[in-house]
Amino acid sequence: MNDRMCESLSALIDNEASELELERILAQVAGDAQVRQAWTRYNLAQHAMHSHPVAHMDWDISTRVQAALDDTSMMGTASAPAVFRQRMKRSLQSFAVAASVAATVVIGGRQLAEVSETTPYVADRSVATSASPVGMLNSLGATAVQASYGTQPIPVLQPATRTAYQELAQQRLRQYMQEHAEQAALNSPQGLVPFARVPQIRE
Amino acid sequence: MLLGSLKHFCHFHVVTLLSLLAATGAMAAVCSDTDAAALEWLDKMSRSMRQVNYQGVVTLQRGDELQVMQVSHLVDHGSSSERLTQLTGQGAQVERGAHPLDCIHPGDQLLRLGTLLQEDRCGIAEQYRFSVVDGERVAGRKAVRINLEPRDMYRFGYAMSLDRETGLLLKSQTISHGHKTLETTQFAHISYTDNVPAGSDVDVIHEAQHSHPDSAPANAAATRSWTVGWVPRGFAATDTSPRLNGRRTYTDGLAVFSVFLEDTDLEIRPGEGLVRQGGTTTYTRGMVLGGQPVLVTVIGEVPVNTARMVADSVGWMQ
Repeated sequence: MNDRMCESLSALIDNEASELELERILAQVAGDAQVRQAWTRYNLAQHAMHSHPVAHMDWDISTRVQAALDDTSMMGTASAPAVFRQRMKRSLQSFAVAASVAATVVIGGRQLAEVSETTPYVADRSVATSASPVGMLNSLGATAVQASYGTQPIPVLQPATRTAYQELAQQRLRQYMQEHAEQAALNSPQGLVPFARVPQIRE
Repeated sequence: MLLGSLKHFCHFHVVTLLSLLAATGAMAAVCSDTDAAALEWLDKMSRSMRQVNYQGVVTLQRGDELQVMQVSHLVDHGSSSERLTQLTGQGAQVERGAHPLDCIHPGDQLLRLGTLLQEDRCGIAEQYRFSVVDGERVAGRKAVRINLEPRDMYRFGYAMSLDRETGLLLKSQTISHGHKTLETTQFAHISYTDNVPAGSDVDVIHEAQHSHPDSAPANAAATRSWTVGWVPRGFAATDTSPRLNGRRTYTDGLAVFSVFLEDTDLEIRPGEGLVRQGGTTTYTRGMVLGGQPVLVTVIGEVPVNTARMVADSVGWMQ
């Protein structure tokens, strides 16, 4: 498996894979056990909370992909009176293959995909029915509770919900970004520009 | 700021870096495809950033947000002084004075590979693939463009435009794995002069810190010694934080991220939160380490997965 493939898998985890990359992954995953193993490894690495088993790791997407690809290639060998129609149908079919595999793969990496979205937590304030982003909330049997911003100053160390953690990350950004910028200014090739990323520069 | 301690600090870094390079020397084969010209440009960029007199106007664009700032950099008698003044937003000013030119921080050491190349080590080329092409004009200057594509999934890519004459970094784009531009920094105007621009109306003036072991700022402080168990290949520590300091920072020469640890006696429900702004990720993870509830925050110019894996690897020192 080459670097390019690693990056594509990574992009898929980041939810940033382009259509082209998806097709390439598709083509390769069909006959390459290494790629499937890499996918599992990437996920495992990111779920390295040792005490919590990760249920979806055993999923093998190869069978479905292979079946889908076989269908597609059979179409290619069939004699076709209406070439144009066949081509249309074929492109639709490859799109369907791409879509179905995307669904399969992304569900496998759902925890990661969720966290990669821009506003991952705001929409879902109900009790988590699947695993949480790190598979922790649910495995502890915790239920999500709406944070009461109105009555308590700030839920600093009692984060009850995903939303509360989102807020916590915002706070930490404001608290720590300047200290990070001090280091970035000395160790990246942009002079003092990293300070421009600090929300509110303190004296 | 004491010169004595600075020099001691810088010496330390040379030692750290050499051991780092020795450890990665075995990977040299990876970079046989590396464009030596690109490495020479990066070397030149790193030096000119610290050694050339310049002043100009720089913009930072992240999504819809555009910031404009004035920067100046002056070299005098073996040390440099620099200043950044925000022309939009908060209007704060950041200054750094009397920074010795021979004080070379790990980020710059990783980029200055002129001699190391000949010893068959390729440093940053183990982390990125380079290509050099003709660049478009930036701030009225002819530029050469260097594309840096990461070799693994743990860092972003960059497209950098360097002044063809001085090697100064005129424009830098941070690029995600999905080939989206996350952040763009560029000079709108630059002049190579030792005239300091007239001061503008500022409310806050911040003296940039120069980290060394004795005065590492302790915004967060841990009560036990802790370690970061894993960082991506090629990342080196930027300073020698005391073991009880709440921060650790790492750089690969281009990307920088910091890890902060807070321990608490309060009960904490495990979970994670994320904020992304341009190329900067802020990832906060609440967890229990050896019976002790902690909050780990990773802030830096790295992808979310890197931040998560680094946070996962934090542990108490045995």
